[in-house]
Amino acid sequence: MSLCSSYKPNYFSIDDILATEERLSCKVLQKVPRLGFMDHSSESKDLKPGTKLELSFWLAYSMNKSKDPIASIDIPKYYKESYREILNADACAIELSKWNTYFYEFGLHVAKFDHPDCEKLPELLLKTFKSRFRLVMDWAQNQDTNPMIASQLPMLERTIFLSGRKSKEQLVYWFKIGGGGIKTTELIANHKKRKRSTFIENER
Amino acid sequence: MDPNEVEFLGEKQLVSIVPNFNFDMIHLISGSIGPFRAGLPVKIPIWLAINLKQQHKCRIIGQEWMDVEDLKNIKEEEKKSKVFTKMPSNHYMDEVHMLLGAASDDIPNADEIRTAVKDIWDIRMSKLRTSINAFLKSEGTHAKLDHLTAMEINNVRPLLPHALDQMVRLQQIGQASATADSREESQNMSSI
Repeated sequence: MSLCSSYKPNYFSIDDILATEERLSCKVLQKVPRLGFMDHSSESKDLKPGTKLELSFWLAYSMNKSKDPIASIDIPKYYKESYREILNADACAIELSKWNTYFYEFGLHVAKFDHPDCEKLPELLLKTFKSRFRLVMDWAQNQDTNPMIASQLPMLERTIFLSGRKSKEQLVYWFKIGGGGIKTTELIANHKKRKRSTFIENER
Repeated sequence: MDPNEVEFLGEKQLVSIVPNFNFDMIHLISGSIGPFRAGLPVKIPIWLAINLKQQHKCRIIGQEWMDVEDLKNIKEEEKKSKVFTKMPSNHYMDEVHMLLGAASDDIPNADEIRTAVKDIWDIRMSKLRTSINAFLKSEGTHAKLDHLTAMEINNVRPLLPHALDQMVRLQQIGQASATADSREESQNMSSI
């Protein structure tokens, strides 16, 4: 199942790659020679201190985390105090995917920064997930739910929702029709049998 | 797991039938069944019972608990009790589904039994949903649910384990970053 591969983000996890691709607004602190092209608005060859850039997380992280940081970062507003209050009030009322498709994954990455708002971030994500799970579960187990609703959920909840929904559909099908005959597995069906006739032709 | 696979496990359950033929014992890996004597009840696995029924070679006598009054009592108890009550069989849902599907003419009050079982199922499912929700909201690390049957566990299967796994992940990363911070701090202290 696709969820298993994203349990522990690894080098090959597509979800993780996409999550680290999310952008953060950064401010350059030091002069960076010959990287002026990263800022499209400036003509100069070098990247000057004070320039504001939108960088992907993977780049921003390595620029920020060194001993002598090249850039300072600003965490996205939906992980900040004011949005935290919205989440605490009623997490279910929010269309989280509008904030960020990888709300949880990205949040865990952002939590690695040394920023006062980052300390409580994992706790907030966990709390949000817990309070929204009832909603996801109800949607997944209710047959009349519009399948398009999945697009309102952030990726982590979406995969859980879709897998839950699939099993519910199987159960409903079983209630209606019952376990039918035993089917050939895909592996066997796709396995091309070597035909005797081709063998004989080859030998000639 | 697929509901079909749970049903497959349920097919191993024994059921009484009255055969209308004579046959010696059949020796199977899971045990011997028979001998079959016409008109004498004998206990055989459900898969064989359904097969024989389809060939019109037997009459299925249903399980002892497939009785409308008994099921209604179970339903009332289930309603009253806060926790799950013990079901007559670990595969009650699939057994009813299979046996009534194949032999609704042999088992008296088939429709009423079906309704009663569906009611029990619905009560238990809503109970399961509320208890899952309460468990997740509470800070508990484990929950104990007795007397859940195979099909009921299967019903929440991809959803609940995945959600719990993800919660552990969120928690672990939170703790890891907290300990990393404190470690860094202690290192800074020592360097000073």
